[in-house]
Amino acid sequence: MGKRGAKKKDISNILSGFRDDEGNLIPILQKIQKKLGFISEDSVRQTARYLRISENQIFGVASFYSQFRFNEPGRNSIKVCLGTACHVQGGQILSEAVERDLGILPGQTTEDMRYDYEQVACLGCCALAPVIQINDDIYSRMTVIRLKETMDKYE
Amino acid sequence: MPQMSKRKGKLTIFIDNKKYSCETGSTILEAAEQSGVYIPTLCAHTEMSPFGGCRMCIVEVEGMRGFPTSCTTPVADGMKIMTHTAQIQEERKEILQLILSEHTSSCLICDERLECKESTATIRKVGVTTGCRYCPSDQQCELQDVVEYLGVEEIGYPVYYRNLKVEKNDPFYDRDYNLCILCGRCIRMCQEVRTANILAFKQRGRNTVIGPAFERTHLEAGCEFCGACVSTCPTGALSEKARKWEGKADYAVTTTCAFCGTGCRLDLQVKGKKVIGSLPAGDSHVSDRQLCVKGRFCVTELVNSHKRIKKPFTFREGHRFNTNWKEAIGIAAGILSSCKPEEFGMIVSSDCTNEDLYIAQKFTRSVMGSHNINTEARIFYGQTFNAYLDLFELSTPISDIAKSDLVLSVGIDTRFSRSVIGVELRKAISAGARLVTINSEEHNLVNIAVRWIRPEAGGESAVLKALCTAFTGKSTNDKDIAYVSGLLRQANKITILVGSQYPTFKGGAEILGRIKDLALKTGAGITPLPPQCNFVGTLLAGVYSEILPGGLNASNKKSLSAVRKGSGAPVPAFKNPWQFGSSAAWKKIKVLYLVGDFPLERYCSPDHLIYQNIFGPRDTLKADLVLPARAFSEIDGTIISGEGRIQKIKKAADSPGEAKADWNILCMIARKMGKKGFGFSSAAGIRKELSTFVPGVARSSKNLVALPIEGRLLLGRTKKIARADKKRYPFILNAYSMEHLYHGNEISETVEGAAVLFGSGRLEVNPVDARKLRIKNGDEVIVTSPLHSWRWTVKISEDQLPETLRVTLAPGEVAEMNPQRVKIRRK
Repeated sequence: MGKRGAKKKDISNILSGFRDDEGNLIPILQKIQKKLGFISEDSVRQTARYLRISENQIFGVASFYSQFRFNEPGRNSIKVCLGTACHVQGGQILSEAVERDLGILPGQTTEDMRYDYEQVACLGCCALAPVIQINDDIYSRMTVIRLKETMDKYE
Repeated sequence: MPQMSKRKGKLTIFIDNKKYSCETGSTILEAAEQSGVYIPTLCAHTEMSPFGGCRMCIVEVEGMRGFPTSCTTPVADGMKIMTHTAQIQEERKEILQLILSEHTSSCLICDERLECKESTATIRKVGVTTGCRYCPSDQQCELQDVVEYLGVEEIGYPVYYRNLKVEKNDPFYDRDYNLCILCGRCIRMCQEVRTANILAFKQRGRNTVIGPAFERTHLEAGCEFCGACVSTCPTGALSEKARKWEGKADYAVTTTCAFCGTGCRLDLQVKGKKVIGSLPAGDSHVSDRQLCVKGRFCVTELVNSHKRIKKPFTFREGHRFNTNWKEAIGIAAGILSSCKPEEFGMIVSSDCTNEDLYIAQKFTRSVMGSHNINTEARIFYGQTFNAYLDLFELSTPISDIAKSDLVLSVGIDTRFSRSVIGVELRKAISAGARLVTINSEEHNLVNIAVRWIRPEAGGESAVLKALCTAFTGKSTNDKDIAYVSGLLRQANKITILVGSQYPTFKGGAEILGRIKDLALKTGAGITPLPPQCNFVGTLLAGVYSEILPGGLNASNKKSLSAVRKGSGAPVPAFKNPWQFGSSAAWKKIKVLYLVGDFPLERYCSPDHLIYQNIFGPRDTLKADLVLPARAFSEIDGTIISGEGRIQKIKKAADSPGEAKADWNILCMIARKMGKKGFGFSSAAGIRKELSTFVPGVARSSKNLVALPIEGRLLLGRTKKIARADKKRYPFILNAYSMEHLYHGNEISETVEGAAVLFGSGRLEVNPVDARKLRIKNGDEVIVTSPLHSWRWTVKISEDQLPETLRVTLAPGEVAEMNPQRVKIRRK
């Protein structure tokens, strides 16, 4: 499990750039994500106080959009493609292998902050399916056996 | 939500070829409901904005494309609407099947459902024997009604079971989102009506779930546990824990909640002769179909508790002997008739009805010939009692909140206490009012207030004084004071809400005095919100040694003779008041009669104790005789709420065993002792006699009773406060009195869920301090001040400032005035 809200960062300089109008929620969230890399529990709390709306409403809005994440990103991020071609070539098996290996679900970060893990729809290189991406590196024709070796390369 | 014009006017529409007239601006659904035409719906609700989510209410409108949803389409003149053509019904069936494919629905389409409904008296629509244990919303399922109306008998889609874990971690209600149809009613209830904003749709598409932010429980998210979402759920997704398998009520009885002085009206749900639930009543001037956690969930568990006593019993040599009423009354009369007037004392609960209170004082004054009567409210308010009474001179009703353009809330948190006031506040705010809150503690109004002034506990009086000075036009350096005094000057109508924790503060009486000063200066009205159910009633029924019925002053000889005349019974001359602060006064008491629980151990140990309550006495109380009393759901009577409204209490259910009404027991003893003037056979008779002192109490009146009250208490001198130095006692403790009582008993001792929410003895500690002290949630700690030592359980709270502690005292626990210096160590 990722450490949600483990670090507390002051976001008041982000907030002070906006009027306290709830219509500004999404731009505020985008700036927070840009600065912290994710939407922390504490930043939601501070935003709620500033806009005078509840944390629950903010989370409701933010969780609707896939662009926002609520777990602190790890040092490395692994993306498993589940697009049509990858799906046919066994992408699902790869994603299950990643889940088993890291012990986390999509959208989460490992306890040691080494990996965060996401499922994506298409990485744009369907001819090489099944594909995974670790940080900026693409690995093609991936198998469960090679997956382990590949993942071990990243600390 | 489409913006609909709200211009008044009638127009003509045709529903299913019949002509109807309806109001401009209403939706097709509303117009159909008013005309008595049924259109099935799952997500629409009269109290909420149209949602158009379930698509059940589709209709055909001539000249409009497709099938518009009737809940979101406004009517137009001459509109021709068809509500159940074959095509619409077919569409609805299809949509309903889609909904059902994501809803555990075996009970809706089961082959045996008809036999089951007719022949089983089981708690569920489908018998336990057939193994169907899915849903607790029996015979109260709106989804079921729609399924039956459309005659859906099978589901033509693959069933998608989401396998979500049933959420059982919160008190009072469980949530099984596998049964949820995402109609959004609970969310709109929480956001629009309660404006508590705990619930929201999370994620999207087929992953949509309902709940608070992150993976928080409702408790962590700040839920008020008002239960409004549970009441409005059309399925069994939200269900009340205590009522889960009770089924449908036979009928409802409208009465008044006795758990605080707000005076909300309840519909007690009765099945057989038992109260199985309580829902908000529609006829209220106060609560507008809303309740707090106590009224909604605590009533049933409290009045049905296994701890209720059913028979009178005595203690002889430490052993308990059950007895009958005849013998018990004889024993009581024996103890009381050999007691001298100055040796008698009676303490009566301020949650009793006016009738009970009046008889209690009449018993003390004319049977015992003594003025030694008091309530536990005397201890609660202590040295601030008279200052609190002064506030009632400027009392305005709760409904004034809605009319105000500025509300000043002093020391109010509406999460668990008086949460309907919170709803009123938020409604006023959305209508344009502004809220300023003055509170030394973190509280739930912070998010809706334009300004939160946070003095240290006891610093309120300086803030209020500064506001007073700034209001008259003097300039100030304090930004907050300048801003708020500006608001005060601009406002046309100001209401000040006053919390009830100032008796525990240093200079509490001064704070209350300053509130009154500010109100006088700004022309504001004050709404004191006493936590005692019938605090105003105790004053008007005269259950203090210095105060006679009608709120008259006992040291006034004319008042005494008026009471003699009005009650037709002797009343002794008034000599000394029974001051709770004086230990000499307590030493004189040899026989004590308690109506409701009281922390007696702190004050005296009388030779004889008669204990009358709905629960038995604590082990440490040595009672001679214990008499079982009825709870408020089992008696008729009246109470007077904090705003001065006379509210009826109505009998809804039978009392357990042989319990009797408080007034009845006292009258029986008086008659046994051969006294006249106690021949009442019903509460109405007592009310008639009381109405000579409190006009209007006998009539069901929509008007408020006349406050102020003439009588005042003699309070004696304030105790000196022990000094403690900062080095030895590094923490600041604020200890508050327990407000959630019924007849002196802590509600949380009987109601399990209440203990989670507002039990006493939980010490709130800042997480940084907790780390330094190496204490965890749930640890026991010993807190010491120069004079006292307590043992409490730790609750780590982000809301607590560093080096400050906060706790709610159990009744009977003693502390110094807030803020006090303490040290803390692990046990």
